[in-house]
Amino acid sequence: MMEFAWIIPLFPLLSFLLLIVYGKKWGSAAPYIGMLLTFASFIVSLLVLVARFENPTYKAEATWLTIGDATLTAGFEVNQLNALMLVIVSLVSFLVHMYSKGYMQGDERISVFYSYLGLFTFAMLGLVLSPNLLQTYIFWELVGVGSFLLIGFYFYKEEAKAAAKKAFIMTRIGDVALFIGMILLFWQVGSFEYDEIFASVSAGTISSEMITLTAILIFIGAVGKSGQFPLHSWLPDAMEGPTPVSALIHAATMVAAGVYLVATMFPVFAASEAALMTVAIVGAFTAIFAASIGLVQKDIKRVLAYSTVSQLGFMMLALGSAGYVAGVFHLTTHAFFKALLFLAAGSVIHAVHTQDIEKMGGLWKKLRLTGPLFLIGTLAISGVPLLSGFFSKDEILVATWVHGHTILFLLAIIAAFMTAFYMFRLFFLVFGGEARGDTNHVKESPNVMTVPMWVLAFLAIFAGYINTPWFGSFLGDWLTDGNAALGHGHIEGPIWIMGLATAVSLLGIALAWLIYSRKSLSRDWLSSRAPYAYQLVNKKYYIDEFYHFTVVKAASILSRVARLFEVIIVEGLIKLITAFITGLSKLGSRMQDGQVQTYGTVAFLGLAVLVIVLALTGGYL
Amino acid sequence: MSTVPISAYLTLALVLFCIGLYGALTKRNTVIVLISIELMLNAGNINLVAFSKFGMMPSIDGQVFALFAIAVAAAEVAVGLAILIAIYRNRKTVNVDEFDALKH
Amino acid sequence: MSGEFLIFMLLALIAIVGGVMMLNLTKVVHMVVALVFTFISVAGVYVMLSAEFIAVVQILIYSGAITIMMLFGIMLTRHNDNSEPKAGRIRKILIFLSILGFGLVFYLGIYNVEFTQEATTLHENNTEQIGLAIYSKYVIPFELTSVILLVALIGAIILAKRDDLEEADKE
Repeated sequence: MMEFAWIIPLFPLLSFLLLIVYGKKWGSAAPYIGMLLTFASFIVSLLVLVARFENPTYKAEATWLTIGDATLTAGFEVNQLNALMLVIVSLVSFLVHMYSKGYMQGDERISVFYSYLGLFTFAMLGLVLSPNLLQTYIFWELVGVGSFLLIGFYFYKEEAKAAAKKAFIMTRIGDVALFIGMILLFWQVGSFEYDEIFASVSAGTISSEMITLTAILIFIGAVGKSGQFPLHSWLPDAMEGPTPVSALIHAATMVAAGVYLVATMFPVFAASEAALMTVAIVGAFTAIFAASIGLVQKDIKRVLAYSTVSQLGFMMLALGSAGYVAGVFHLTTHAFFKALLFLAAGSVIHAVHTQDIEKMGGLWKKLRLTGPLFLIGTLAISGVPLLSGFFSKDEILVATWVHGHTILFLLAIIAAFMTAFYMFRLFFLVFGGEARGDTNHVKESPNVMTVPMWVLAFLAIFAGYINTPWFGSFLGDWLTDGNAALGHGHIEGPIWIMGLATAVSLLGIALAWLIYSRKSLSRDWLSSRAPYAYQLVNKKYYIDEFYHFTVVKAASILSRVARLFEVIIVEGLIKLITAFITGLSKLGSRMQDGQVQTYGTVAFLGLAVLVIVLALTGGYL
Repeated sequence: MSTVPISAYLTLALVLFCIGLYGALTKRNTVIVLISIELMLNAGNINLVAFSKFGMMPSIDGQVFALFAIAVAAAEVAVGLAILIAIYRNRKTVNVDEFDALKH
Repeated sequence: MSGEFLIFMLLALIAIVGGVMMLNLTKVVHMVVALVFTFISVAGVYVMLSAEFIAVVQILIYSGAITIMMLFGIMLTRHNDNSEPKAGRIRKILIFLSILGFGLVFYLGIYNVEFTQEATTLHENNTEQIGLAIYSKYVIPFELTSVILLVALIGAIILAKRDDLEEADKE
């Protein structure tokens, strides 16, 4: 079955091509085409995953280009991580396709929307299947294009346009670093192949400084894509896109691509302690940083966006602490429960037509299905025991502790506490209490929207059991099978960590309950005590403003200078040339005035010049 | 034996030719342009006659050539003036810088 | 300084002065008359070159016929003599300079031309010699010349003739 894995990305590609060409004509049939084709690729992915359980890694390649001694290849590879990612991506993509049928109902550009979804899914699946860095990079950029198109789907909204541009440009900063790292690796190894890169890393043919440098450059690429600090600020803005897009791209798949890249390149990172340390520190800092911003946001999707940034930070922290399995595990569970949360949030927005949580409230009774689903997602992300998020977060904490990062461990614990707090703050504000807005017309979403959420809710609850301390670490053993560089399948940690994590998340929930549900603590209890800190967090640490006054201003000054250069020097030269030519031709046309004497003058002038030149040069003098 | 060298005749012819050329190229009046051309032809005739006396192979041929040139010049003047009259009838001017039919 | 040279200098002076006056006078009639001096002195030069017949023809054709024809041409057309030429000063200077260069180069080529041979018998029965040459050696060009003259005659008449049809249209 695995030899047919290449067919998986082709279904969404076909969907994209069909819908971009015939979408207008087919109109309302477009969603079914997209759903059918992504479902096909999900089925094949599932079969490939099952086949991978029993068979070794499958890899097929063909020579693409030969440049001198170097050979570039193109192909696909099915290893454990790839097979797992294939299923996650195709499943979430299929569910989002289905959900969008209800969410985007009535939008006249729905076929365009579905074709973009197809393009993105194709790119993401291709990214996951790539066996070498170059191919990864190509799909990496394609994924960025898909994200750009979908964020800017409501292009008539100024914010959406700006957000799309911001997302594209900020991820591009990371991509440049990734590109440099990739080229450096090629220079050192002479190949883009993952296998050969890992082989020369473990053989020690690359100097350790070079490994650190390339690993950090590649990590910067991942930082851009995964919205890690300091390139995180595009991700919350990307919420201007349609909500299913946020669920697919900016929660479950694309932003996880950065984590996936680090996981794929893990042997390179593992060879450099400094690179691992960088990853861990950036991850931990991002986790707590984004969580603190999430505490005060008032837009339901932005809260979830900062939560995503924070959770991606957790994954990075896990990878940086040599917790390969923990990182990938959390990536998997996060994909499910965050997609669920976004889809549920979309369902809420669909019902109340606002994203401001201050205008919601009391929706528990109105949205009989969405409410419990959202609660499941919230419980999962908060790390409440027995749900998936609990197990994966526990893995991360254990990995961090065992690796010896005590400070980072503390940061992670605080971030976990904040996560539980802001998620339940969100839950209580949206669903609990009394209605603060007009909720008379609120109706539950149609089945086509709730069914995908049920599937995701099921996974959000039970996906954790594939890797638990109690029932065996099946996922971890399988992932690291046959590859010692990835570390152990399961890291044994002290049992008190699990208790601490549980206590912290329950504490967060309790605090949120006290403030937002029972109201025994005033809402501005904290903010009134530290107004400046509140202001700082509310303004997202002024990161956007900081960028605006440094990077944006500098770039605009630079481009002004470049524009002046362009206008004065380049265009001046061009104008000089055109003016010269125009003048010459004007002179020519003035010469041709139809008068015999002018013609005679010109003819005689030529003759005189010829005669004089001949006399001077011909030696007649 | 003549005491005037051939170069003196040739120089005279050159000076007359240059005067005629300047007139032909700068004068506005068509009649003067025509007569300047006659002056240039005359300069050429001086050369022909001078070479018939002092040339490499002096003979009467040069004089015969000069006669032919005069005959052709006379015919040219006749036709030129006829054209001038015809143009004048249409354009009511004899200024050569107002004749720009060549442009079209 | 022989008498012959003196006479040449005199004739040359008259010819050149006539030409320069032609360039500088303002009235058209005066210009034509100035050129008559040039033509006559050129006839004198012909005499010095032992070409008596050519000299006579020069006087008859140039000083007589062509000048008279020019005067008729001037009479038949209206001339606003005072109008200064529109042609630019720059163009005039340019033409003057290039003519100067052209003339200088040619002068450098001819100023010391010297041919050893000199015809000594041209003045003896000059007209007879020409006649013999024309009617024997150059009889075909001579006949062709007559055709040219005929064509010029007819052409001049047709060109200068008033077009009756055109006149009828105008009225």
